Amino acid sequence: MNHKDRLLLVEDEDSLAAGLEFNLTAEGYEVIWVRDGKKALEEFTSSHFDLIILDLMLPYISGFTVAEKIRAVYPQIPILILTARTTLKDRLKGFELGADDYLTKPFHLEELLMRVKGMLKRKRWYQKSVENMPVFRLGKSEINFENLTIRSDQNIFHLTAIEASLLKYLIDNCGKVVSRRELLENVWHTSSDLETRTIDNFIMRLRRYLEVNPDQPVFIKSVRGIGYLLTEK
Amino acid sequence: MKKPSTLFYHIFIFVIAQVTWFSLLGLWIYWYVTNYLLLLKVEDKLTPQFISGTTNIIALISGLILLILLSLSMSVIFIYLNRQLNVTKLYDNFISNVTHELKSPLSSIQLHLETIKKREVPDEKKQEFLSLMLKDIDRLNRLINSILYLSSLEQSKLSKKVSHDYHIYDADNILREIIEESLQEFNFPLDHVKIEGSLSGQCVIDRNWLKIVFNNLIDNAIKYSAQLPQLKVELTPGKRYFQINFSDNGIGISARDQKKIFNKFHRVYNPESPTVKGTGLGLYWVKEIVKYHGGKIEVHSAGKNLGTTFKISLPVYKESKKRYIKRLLRITHKYQKHAEMIHEP
Repeated sequence: MNHKDRLLLVEDEDSLAAGLEFNLTAEGYEVIWVRDGKKALEEFTSSHFDLIILDLMLPYISGFTVAEKIRAVYPQIPILILTARTTLKDRLKGFELGADDYLTKPFHLEELLMRVKGMLKRKRWYQKSVENMPVFRLGKSEINFENLTIRSDQNIFHLTAIEASLLKYLIDNCGKVVSRRELLENVWHTSSDLETRTIDNFIMRLRRYLEVNPDQPVFIKSVRGIGYLLTEK
Repeated sequence: MKKPSTLFYHIFIFVIAQVTWFSLLGLWIYWYVTNYLLLLKVEDKLTPQFISGTTNIIALISGLILLILLSLSMSVIFIYLNRQLNVTKLYDNFISNVTHELKSPLSSIQLHLETIKKREVPDEKKQEFLSLMLKDIDRLNRLINSILYLSSLEQSKLSKKVSHDYHIYDADNILREIIEESLQEFNFPLDHVKIEGSLSGQCVIDRNWLKIVFNNLIDNAIKYSAQLPQLKVELTPGKRYFQINFSDNGIGISARDQKKIFNKFHRVYNPESPTVKGTGLGLYWVKEIVKYHGGKIEVHSAGKNLGTTFKISLPVYKESKKRYIKRLLRITHKYQKHAEMIHEP
C-alpha cells in the first residue's frame, strides 16, 4: 500500500490530541489535527480524508452536528466518536447521526488503534463489495449502496453508514439466519457493551424503509431467540 | 424531553389547588350570605339571643385569613420547589461536566503512559509527554480540590472546620504578590498583563483562598478568549473599601448571563465560546470567597467580544466591617490553636 490513509482528528484537549497524533503517525497514518467543530468542517470540505476521529464536546460546533453535516455530504466516510460521554442515549444518538463506532474515554491505546484499523479495513471491504454490486433490488425497493439511499415507489430514504453496513451484511448472508451477537461483532465491531435492543431498533428502521407493512415483515424476518433472516422474495 | 412535562405537571397541580381553595372560599361565602339573608327574613320572629351575627362574622373573617395564609404558603412552597427543580437540572449538567473534566485528563495520562510502554519514544518526545501528564495531574488536582473545598465551605460557614488563615497584610503588597503568583501558575506571559494604580492601607485576608479567586479569574479569561487575552488589573484605594478591577479583552458576557454567572453550577452555553471545559463552580466559588472576606464582586461587560471586567471590593482593615473582620481573625487564632493541639500529642 503506497498511499497513506489520511485521518482527521478533531479533539480540543491538547494533551490527548498530542498523544493521539504521535501514535497514529507512528502507525503510518497521515494525521491532521483540528481543535474545534468549525475548523473540522472547513478542513473536511477542503481536502480528502479516509477516517474521522471525533470528540463530542467541541467548541463552536458540537461533535454531533459535525458528524451529521459530514454524513450529509459524504455518507461513506467512517466516523469514530471518541468521548467522555458514556450514556446509552449519547451512544444511540451518535450512531443515529451516522457514527460508525463509539469509544469512551478513558480508552486503551491498543483498542483505539485496532478499531481505527478495523474501520479502515471495513471501509475498503465495503467499497470493494459495493463496486461489485452497487445497487440491490429487494421487492419494490432499490437499494443504492454507493450513495446510501433506498428508493421505493415515490419515497427516497437516506441510510446512515451503520444502517447500510447492517443491510449489506444481511444481504451478503441472504437466506442464512444471522445472530444478534454476530451482528454486534461484524457490524458494530463491539462485543457486548451495546445492548442487543439497539440492533432491534436498527432492524425496525430498515423494515420501515423496505417493507410494505413493517409489522408483517416479508424480507427481514425475526427468528425467535436467535436473530434475523433476510430472504429475497 | 422529560423535564418540561414535570414542570407542566407542577404548574397544573398548583393551579388546580389554587382553584380548589378559591372555589371552597366562594362556596363558603355563598353559604354564609344565603344563611344570613335567611336569618334576616326570619329575624323578627326569633328572639334576639338566638342570632349571634358577630361570632359568625368573626368565624368567616378568620376562616378567610387562614385560607389566604394557606394559599400563600402553598405559593411559597411552589416557588421553592421550582427553584429546587432548577438546581437539580443544573446539577445534572454539573455531573456530566465533572465527568468530562475528570475523564479528559485521565484518558490523556493513560494514553501517554501506554504510549511510553508500547513504543520507543525519543527522549525529547518523552519529556514533552511527561510535562503534559503533569499538567493533566494539576488539572485533576485543582478540580478535586475545588469540589472538596466547596462541600466544606457549604457545610460550615464561619466555623473552625474550614481552614482559616486570615492575617493583617499591607494591601498593595499582598494583592500584587497573589496576582503575580496566580499568573505564574498559569505560565501567563507577563507582557500581556498590565497592573495599574496602587492600594493603601491594610487588609485582612486568607492568602490561599484569595489566590483561588485570582486563579479562577485568570482561568476564565484564558478560556473565554479566542486568543491569548490582554489582562488589565486596576487597583484603586478607598477610604472604607478598596477596589480591584480585573479586565480581559475576551468574548464578553451577554447581559442576560451576567446575572447568572455567579450562580452555582451555572454555565454559559454559547456556541461561539472557544471552550467547553468547566464545571460551573468557578465563579460561584469566587463570589463565596469574596463574600467571606467581607467584600463584594460584580461583573460588567459591554457585550459580545468587548471583554469582561470583574470588580472586587474588599474592606479596608479598621475602616469597615470591623466586627466581622475581628471575628475572622479570632477564628483563625482558634483554628490555629486547634491545629497545633492536633499536631502536638
